[in-house]
Amino acid sequence: MKFYLCIDDTDNLDSIGTGTIAEQILERLISNGFGPCSLVTRHQLYIHEDIPYTSHNSSMCFYSEAPEESLSTIIDLASHHLDTVAAEGSDPGLCVLKYNASGDYSDLIAFGKAAKKTVLTKEDAIKCAHSHNIHLSEHGGSGQGIIGALAGVGLRVFGNDGEIKGALKHIEINRDYTVTELMEFPEVDQVLDLETKEPLSKTTSINMGSRSKTVMYQNQSVLFAIKADNGQYESLTKPKIRQLGENFYE
Amino acid sequence: MSKENHLNLDDWSQGHATALACSQFKQDVEEEWVAEELISCYNCRYRRWTQTGIQCMKAAMENTDH
Repeated sequence: MKFYLCIDDTDNLDSIGTGTIAEQILERLISNGFGPCSLVTRHQLYIHEDIPYTSHNSSMCFYSEAPEESLSTIIDLASHHLDTVAAEGSDPGLCVLKYNASGDYSDLIAFGKAAKKTVLTKEDAIKCAHSHNIHLSEHGGSGQGIIGALAGVGLRVFGNDGEIKGALKHIEINRDYTVTELMEFPEVDQVLDLETKEPLSKTTSINMGSRSKTVMYQNQSVLFAIKADNGQYESLTKPKIRQLGENFYE
Repeated sequence: MSKENHLNLDDWSQGHATALACSQFKQDVEEEWVAEELISCYNCRYRRWTQTGIQCMKAAMENTDH
């Protein structure tokens, strides 16, 4: 069984972040014999004054494999961990989807996309989750985190959204790498030209002039590069990645 | 930061300078770094993103306490 798991709104200004908690849940799943697990993705949601996010309104998602009968064990394990570590004053939400490869998730994906540009309610989330038999649970506070948790699953199923947590964390800045060298990093599936969205040849040199991240694009972890005026390819900076907007990935 | 403790979306040099002089600066987790300079208000745990930029929540909390 493939399942998606996403959490949101677990932190406050002084606590550990939601991404760290997602990784802790992932590690607990593995130590309990489940897995393998995917990389964790960070999904940026709508920034709006009517949404009570802590600092950046993003949710954290991954998928994994487990025996068919273990869904309730996984939910219990994640719920217990959230109840234990979620920060005071936070509004944590958990979403777990048992994935059906032949299922139609278009409205779940639409929910995820909508959460990037509109203010949604818990009722919207509960209604959408109910139609797919998705587990959604509140773990304290207002429970508003269920909205972002469901949106994160929708966006991960969509396969064209989210930065890979921890990607290129240890890469050398201001160094040239060939595409072959970059693809040796486990979090790099493809290196694509930003303009054409076509793969660059294995020998193309990319200057990692700044911190960059791989992003989910067509269900792959992709590093986008842009051709500078001098003809040299450069990695995309974080601000540029976040300015691409949701339509870029369509 | 300005009097309102707010910086625009891309005021990188000001974010760096302000953070260097700030005793409350606390680096956020790596996935939330946006500015190239590690010490920057844009990479601080206490900044909150808004539609127009970032706001310093530490300063906001201190103003509320007084």
